[in-house]
Amino acid sequence: MSGLTSFSMNRTSDKLSLENEEIAIEVKDWNLYYGSKQALSGVNMKLPKNRVTAFIGPSGCGKSTLLRCFNRMNDLIDSVSVEGSILLDNEDMYLKSMDVSALRRRVGMVFQKPNPFPKSIFENVCYGLRLQNIKDKQLLKETVEWALRGANLWEEVKDRLDENALSLSGGQQQRLCIARAIAIKPEVLLLDEPTSALDPISTLAVEELIFELKKEFTILIVTHNMQQAARVSDYTAFMYMGDLVEYTDTDSLFTNPKLKQTEDYISGRYG
Amino acid sequence: MQKKEFSSHISNQLNRNLEELFNHILEMGGMVENQLDMALSALENADVTVAKEVIRFDKIINQAEMEIDRLCIRVLARQQPTASDLRLILATIRIAIDLERMGDEVCKLAKLVIKFHKNELCVCANYAGYAELVDITTRSREMLKITLNAFARVSAEDAMSILDQEEVVDQVYAKACKDVTELFKKNPENVECLLEVMTALRASERLSDHALNIMESIIYLVQGKDVRNMDQERLTQFLEKL
Repeated sequence: MSGLTSFSMNRTSDKLSLENEEIAIEVKDWNLYYGSKQALSGVNMKLPKNRVTAFIGPSGCGKSTLLRCFNRMNDLIDSVSVEGSILLDNEDMYLKSMDVSALRRRVGMVFQKPNPFPKSIFENVCYGLRLQNIKDKQLLKETVEWALRGANLWEEVKDRLDENALSLSGGQQQRLCIARAIAIKPEVLLLDEPTSALDPISTLAVEELIFELKKEFTILIVTHNMQQAARVSDYTAFMYMGDLVEYTDTDSLFTNPKLKQTEDYISGRYG
Repeated sequence: MQKKEFSSHISNQLNRNLEELFNHILEMGGMVENQLDMALSALENADVTVAKEVIRFDKIINQAEMEIDRLCIRVLARQQPTASDLRLILATIRIAIDLERMGDEVCKLAKLVIKFHKNELCVCANYAGYAELVDITTRSREMLKITLNAFARVSAEDAMSILDQEEVVDQVYAKACKDVTELFKKNPENVECLLEVMTALRASERLSDHALNIMESIIYLVQGKDVRNMDQERLTQFLEKL
């Protein structure tokens, strides 16, 4: 008889909370202007380490602009000016003394359209390593295999590493770009609409890859696809007209958002 | 349909969540089975301690239902299941509701034991309807076991094998009601105890109804056909086609 009350069902996974996370990037009072037009207004947020954080919101809300701030891609646009600070491991990445090339080695990026170089699969993956003057053939070979395995592409290409990367399918090319980005072992991986040019099956393969990659990297993803954000992310940030409207764990945001504006957007009542 | 189909998605997260749902339902079903065994033991031995334990255990079953709901809502919101995966979510929610209600009905059996004890009427077996109460509860216990096994195997055919039992339960219940009513007419002073027996009889009969609901949920999961509210003839025709 005794044993009955010893029954209890294990909770599948406890709710995530930013308070319990190690923080990779902290954004403080961040404003960004294109000329006189303000594109980001007073953004404050902490991005947790080894988690996937998704940015969602309508076109023009500033999510891609914010993502590009995390490796100073906006430096390449003349009219951009910024205020505030973004800390990577407590170091302000916008200090004048910051080596931007070094920063971009720590914060890798994958873009919307797969953009492999017109080189072999092998050379694509070790491109970043060669830029760092790494010449040890064995090290290059090992890193290429590690990155391709990490990007879940190794089995498909291991016998044709010398073939041109452009011969791969769209989904394979995007995974190759992810392999290229992780080959230099960044701390943070920025993904800007990484599956919008892919078919549904390749999309699911990349999503599964993102879920696996978070064990080693902090991942920030911008997506137009809310369902994708729901599927892959641990935390979700909803942005609107340059403001960070709501930012919380993905379970809460998609089942019980705090703000009506968020609810209207994720349930398709928006606009 | 085979259970392994629920673990063959590209998304391992979805595979894990659906597997968890299966396990949670089987775990919760196991809790109700245990609770039923204890209630039967309390009834047969007029054991108040066991009866009280049965009632306490109901809280854990209620928590299990909430945990299953939590996981279902999470999968719905985050993984957008479709086709058989979507049917699994709906079937799971329905089965969890039936199991939780079975837990409530089992508590009514335990309460009968406690009330009889309070009224110093420990020898339940002397009462009209008692033998039928144990009979129906035992059959319902068996029906639950069959449906849980059918759910684990994702087999509509296995689940449907409880239909014969359900007919027997209805007959036994009708006879018990008749016996209790007769006794009530002869000894109206026993009304309080007889009403308690009737409540317990009704609870035990409801147990088999919930097992039947679980069978319907399994048929929906496997065949995609909603067989609730089908009359006996249409249901038989449908089942023969399977």
